[in-house]
Amino acid sequence: MAKKWGHFVRKWITKNMELPQDVMMDLPRITMIGQIHIYIENHRGLIAFSDKELRLLLKQGQLLIKGNAFVIKTILPEEILLEGKIDQVTYINE
Amino acid sequence: MKNLWIEFIGGIVTVKAKGKGIERFINTLTRNGIHIWQVKRHGVEAVIFKIKLKDVNQIRNAVRNSDCKIEFLQRTGFPFLFKRLLKSFGFVLGATAFIIVILVLSNMVWGIEIKGANPATEYKIRKELTEMGVKRGKLQFFIDNVEGIQRKLSDKIEEITWVGVELKGTTYHLQVVEKNDPKKPEYLSPRNLVAKKKAVIVYMFVEEGQPVVSVNDHVKPGQLLVSGIIGKEGNIETLPAKGEIYGETWYKTDVTLPLKKTFQVFNGNEKRKHYIKIGNVEILVWGFGKVKYKEFETESNEKKINFLKWELPISYVDKTIRESEQETLIYDNEQAFEVAKTLARNKIKSGLSENDKIKGEKVLHKSVDNDKVTISIHFQIIENIAEAQPIVQGDTE
Repeated sequence: MAKKWGHFVRKWITKNMELPQDVMMDLPRITMIGQIHIYIENHRGLIAFSDKELRLLLKQGQLLIKGNAFVIKTILPEEILLEGKIDQVTYINE
Repeated sequence: MKNLWIEFIGGIVTVKAKGKGIERFINTLTRNGIHIWQVKRHGVEAVIFKIKLKDVNQIRNAVRNSDCKIEFLQRTGFPFLFKRLLKSFGFVLGATAFIIVILVLSNMVWGIEIKGANPATEYKIRKELTEMGVKRGKLQFFIDNVEGIQRKLSDKIEEITWVGVELKGTTYHLQVVEKNDPKKPEYLSPRNLVAKKKAVIVYMFVEEGQPVVSVNDHVKPGQLLVSGIIGKEGNIETLPAKGEIYGETWYKTDVTLPLKKTFQVFNGNEKRKHYIKIGNVEILVWGFGKVKYKEFETESNEKKINFLKWELPISYVDKTIRESEQETLIYDNEQAFEVAKTLARNKIKSGLSENDKIKGEKVLHKSVDNDKVTISIHFQIIENIAEAQPIVQGDTE
C-alpha cells in the first residue's frame, strides 16, 4: 500500500510540476536513430546479448531488442549504445 | 561517440571472453568502472570487446570471481607501438644517424674555387681563407656570411681590386679581379697635347713630340702644349705626343658647416637574440627578456640549413640589437673654421689624381651666421693639365 502511495505521489508531482519523467520515475530513456542506432539510458544491466537479440534489465520489467548484426558500441553502468539493424523493441512486464 | 584517440594513446586491448554468464561478467565490469566498447558476439559462448590497457589488471581480478575465461587477442595503441619501436631500436638509431650525417655533410664546405687570380694571389687568398676558417670540411654554420668574406678578403689582400664570393651548395666560388692586370700596350693615334684649363706651367716632361710652350708660360684652355707634328718642312711626320705637363691652377672652394651637429652613435650596449626560424615563424631560443633601449638598430644574420642540394625551410637567425644614442657636437667658431678647412681640402683632393699636389691655400672669406660657418678658400694646385687632342689628317697640310 505504501509503495503504491509513493508511486502515486511521484506521478502527481511530475504531472503537475512538469518535471521530466525519466528523472522522476526512473524510467528508461530510449533514443533511436533510424534502425541503426539505439541508445538506452537508465538500464539496470545486461541479461542476454547476442548478435540478434539484446535483453536489458530495467527498474521495472525488461527491454527486449531484436534485429541483427548487433554490436555494443559503448556500455556504461546505466547507459548503452547499440549498433546494428534493429527490427523491434519490446517491453516485457512480469 | 567518443573519439578513440585518447584511448589509442593509452593503449587498447581486445579481449575475448568465453564461458557462461558473459552478460553478468560485462555487468560487473561496467559497475567496476571499466570502460568497454565494441562488444560483439562471437559464436555461441564467446564475446569480443575492447578495453583500455590500464584496466587489464582490474579485468583479471573480475575474471577470478566469474565463470568466464578471458584471452587477449590484439594490442593496439601507442605503448605497443613504442615497444615495437624499442625492439627495432638499432634501425631507428641508424635512420636518425643517417639523416644527421647527411645534414651535417650538406652544411659543410666541400670546395673552394678561385677564378681569375694568378697562382701567387690564389695562394694568398687560400691562406687568408684558411685563416678565416673557410676550409674544406668546416661547417658553414660557423663561417662568416658571404658578404663578410668578401669584405675581409678585399681588405686584407692588396693585390685584388674586387672579389665576388658566391656560395653554391657546398662550394664557394670566388671571382677575383686583380689590380695589376698586365696592361695592354695601347695604340695611340697621332695627337697633340693641349691644355685642359687655365694654368701657369711649372714643370714639363715630354716623352714624345715637340714642346711648344715652356716653363712659367701662361696657358689658356685648349692651347697647344706639345705638338705631335715634328720634322722640318717637306719631311713632316705625325706621331702621338706623350708627356706630362704640370701647371699651377687655381680653385675656389666654398664650404658651409653648421655649428651644431647631431649624429647617431652606438653606445656599446648590445643584446643578442638567437632564433630558430621555421618558414616565416621565428622562435626565440636564447636571449630572452625585453629590449629596453629607446633607440636601437637591429642587425640580423640568417644561416640556412641545407639538406643535400635543397635548402630546408629551417634556419638559424642571430640578431644583434645595438643601442644607439643621439650625440650632439657643438663647435666653437675656431674649431668650426678648422673643420671647414679640412673639409675643403678633402673636397679638392677628391677631384685630383695621385700625383697632384696642393701648393698653397688662402682663406678668402669667412663668416658666421644662422649657426653656420661659411668659408671660402683659394687653392693653388699643381696638376697635370695635358689633354690629348687627335690630329686629323687633313689639318697637317
